[in-house]
Amino acid sequence: MSRPTNESPRPYDPVDLSSRAFWAGTDTERETAFAELRAKRPVSWHRPLEDLLFTDPNDTGFWAIVRHADLVEATKRHEDLISGEGILMESLPPELLEAGQSIIAMDPPRHSKLRRLISKAFTPKQMKRIEDRIRANARMIVDDLAPKGEADFVAECAALMPMHNICDMMGIPYADRQKVAHEAAMPTGVSDPDVVGEGDPVQRLFEAAGYLHDMAKRLAAQRRDEPGDDLITALAVSEVDGARLTDDEIGAFFVLLCIAGNDTTRQSTSHAMKALTDHPAQRAWLMADFDGRITGAVEEFVRWATPIMTFRRTAARDIEFGGQTIRSGEKVILFYSSANRDETVFDRPNEFDLSRDPNPHVGFGGNGIHHCLGNQLARTQLRVLFDELLHRLPDIQAGEPDLLNANFIHGIKRMPCTFTPQR
Amino acid sequence: MKIHIDEDKCTGHGVCEAIREDVFEVGDDGVAHLITEELTEDMREDLQDACDQCPTQALRLEG
Repeated sequence: MSRPTNESPRPYDPVDLSSRAFWAGTDTERETAFAELRAKRPVSWHRPLEDLLFTDPNDTGFWAIVRHADLVEATKRHEDLISGEGILMESLPPELLEAGQSIIAMDPPRHSKLRRLISKAFTPKQMKRIEDRIRANARMIVDDLAPKGEADFVAECAALMPMHNICDMMGIPYADRQKVAHEAAMPTGVSDPDVVGEGDPVQRLFEAAGYLHDMAKRLAAQRRDEPGDDLITALAVSEVDGARLTDDEIGAFFVLLCIAGNDTTRQSTSHAMKALTDHPAQRAWLMADFDGRITGAVEEFVRWATPIMTFRRTAARDIEFGGQTIRSGEKVILFYSSANRDETVFDRPNEFDLSRDPNPHVGFGGNGIHHCLGNQLARTQLRVLFDELLHRLPDIQAGEPDLLNANFIHGIKRMPCTFTPQR
Repeated sequence: MKIHIDEDKCTGHGVCEAIREDVFEVGDDGVAHLITEELTEDMREDLQDACDQCPTQALRLEG
C-alpha cells in the first residue's frame, strides 16, 4: 500500500484508476486493473482524479465499486448513496453542475416529481406508438449514407439517429439540431481538446450551457403560447408543488436530455458496428434470423459498449459497504465497464456473444431510481437502425475508431466505414 | 391477489409495463396504473417479477 497523504483518511489502493494515462489507455488495459480489484479488493479507496479542470480542495479521493452485485446494491441504496452532490468523477464549478445535470443529480422527493413530468414519453407503449417515426429517421439516414461507399460512421450515421429522435421528441426544429447536438457534446468531451478546442475547457462549457439554456428558454416560451405534443411543452406548462419550473430548471433539464439523448446511443451504435466488423461469425449468426435475434443482440451491443463508464455517488452518512466503512461525504464511483465484465455474472465476459441469455448488464444502470429514462428508446433505435443498415448495406465494415479521452462517456469520435454503394 | 402501487415512490420507469402491458400502464401523470382488476393466478410469476424489478420499489403484490 502506498503512503497516505496528510489529508487522506486511509492509504490509497496501489491500482491506478486516477491518472490521465489510465483513462487515455485502452479498454483492455483498464479491464486488467478492474479484474484485479474485482478479485481482490472489490471496494477500494483511490487517490483523487488527476489533472482536474477545477480543483476541489476537499477532495481526498474516491471509493471504487467494481463488482456487478455491489454496483446494483449501490444504485438501490439511494438514501445512503446520494446523487445530489454530483454524478461525475470530475469536479466542476457548482454553477456548471447546476446548469447541466437536473434530475440525474437530484435525490427524492424532487427527483421523483420532475422525472414524472416526462416519464410517459419514454414508456414501452409510447415507443411502439412512435416506432414508425423512429424507422423513418433510420431510413432517411441510411438513404443518405447508401450512395457514398465510404463515410465517417459516427458523424454520418451513429450520431444522426439519436439526434433526430430526441429532437423529434423534444420538438427541436430541424435547422437547430446539428448545433444542439454539437454543443451537447462539449460536457462529455471536456477532457479531450479535439472536442472542446485548445482554449479553456471550462469557458467552453459555459458557452455551451449558455447556448442550450437560451434555446430551451426560447422554445419553452413558444410552447407556452402554442403547446405541442412534445417534451419541451411538458416541461414548460407543468407544475411541481404548485409552481411552474423556472427557466433555469427547464434549461438544465433540456441540457440533460440533449446529452443523454445524443451521446449514449451514438456510442453504443458505433461500438456495435465495430464489434460486428471484428466478429463476422457473430454477425452471420445475427443475420441468419435477424428478427428473431436482434432483441437479445441489442442487449449485448449495450453491454459491450457500456456507453457510460462511471457514475458518482456521495455517502449521505457513515455506511458499511462491502466490508468497508464509507464515511459521510466521501465520493463513491460506480464502474459500469467493470461490472459489465464481471466473471461471476457473465460467462466469457470478454467475448462478444450476441446469443448471451440471460444478459443482466448494467449498461442502463443497476435498476435503481436513476435507471436510464431512455432505455426503451435506446433499444428501439438500435434495433431499427441496425435492421435498416445491415440489410441495406450488407457488406458495411468499420475501420479503426478514434477514441474519446474521457472517464465518463465511452466515446468514439470518428470511425471510417466502407461498403458497396447502393443507389 | 392484489397489486398495490405506491404513487409517492413510482416515477414511471415503465419496467412493470414492459413485463405486463396488459396489467400496467404509465399514465399522463407519470405514474404506473393498473388497467385491469382481473389478476389471475397464471400472472403471479410476472407480477412478482414486476414487483421485484421495480427500480423505485413502488409495487407490492398482496394475497
